[in-house]
Amino acid sequence: MDGNMLVTMFLVAFVLVGGALVFSHFIAPKSVNYQKFEPYECGIPTKGVSWLQFNVGYYLFAILFLVFDVETVFIYPWAVVMKEVGLVGYIEILIFFVILVLGLLYAWKKKALTWA
Amino acid sequence: MMLTASQFMFYFFALAIVIFSILTVTSQRILRAATYLLFVLISTAGIYFLLNYQFLAAVQITLYAGGIVVLIIFSILLTSHVGVKFDMVGWKKRLATGIAVAIGAILVITTILQYQFEASTEAARAVEMRWIGLSLLSYEKEGFVLPFEVISILLLASMIGAIIIARKEEKNESNN
Repeated sequence: MDGNMLVTMFLVAFVLVGGALVFSHFIAPKSVNYQKFEPYECGIPTKGVSWLQFNVGYYLFAILFLVFDVETVFIYPWAVVMKEVGLVGYIEILIFFVILVLGLLYAWKKKALTWA
Repeated sequence: MMLTASQFMFYFFALAIVIFSILTVTSQRILRAATYLLFVLISTAGIYFLLNYQFLAAVQITLYAGGIVVLIIFSILLTSHVGVKFDMVGWKKRLATGIAVAIGAILVITTILQYQFEASTEAARAVEMRWIGLSLLSYEKEGFVLPFEVISILLLASMIGAIIIARKEEKNESNN
């Protein structure tokens, strides 16, 4: 794509999205009252903060996701040259894959994949 | 002065990186800081696209913007101080930070200014996916097959480490 075309499209997208936000900010009817920012309009007023500590399981899932994300990134260049590198490349990627599957098996064995 | 298209994009992303980096370190709410970091990482991916490093830009978005930031946010949510608005630091810390930043900036700027940037005689070579794949799997002189296989062991270690830490915490909870 031509560079100027790219910049034009970029700016148009920017102005359209930004413009819609700014425009709606100015023309929208406003009603500000105390109840508006409460989680519940009726009922007992909330106390304290609504933040709560997450279950550690989320972290575990995030790190497992990241590991296989990295794996995908490395498998993609191999997939592009798969036919060229032939059997040797296949064995190399297989070693890579097997080592990571060991991790998955470990996670499975330790019941890290079940939601506690 | 008229900017060319690539110059315009470069300054746009550079400005975004600078602004969001400053917001990341000055934000008093830690979750907002993590969100600003996300914008820094995405703008860096924009710079990579500008340099024609498509693969690196895709990696930047999938791993850093997609993976690492999620991990950072989850680790923030694991702590018990999530909603706390942190106090501004005192002048002593500000002074110390200012001196450290100034020394770092002087070091980097003088290094850059002293280096003679010479235009290469070689034609600009686009980094092709084919070339990345071949050198990643090559076991010859300039191949990267050993680091490539070692990465899988590193990933395995990080995965096992995370599982052990998470499981241990649960055991503690049940003991309590």
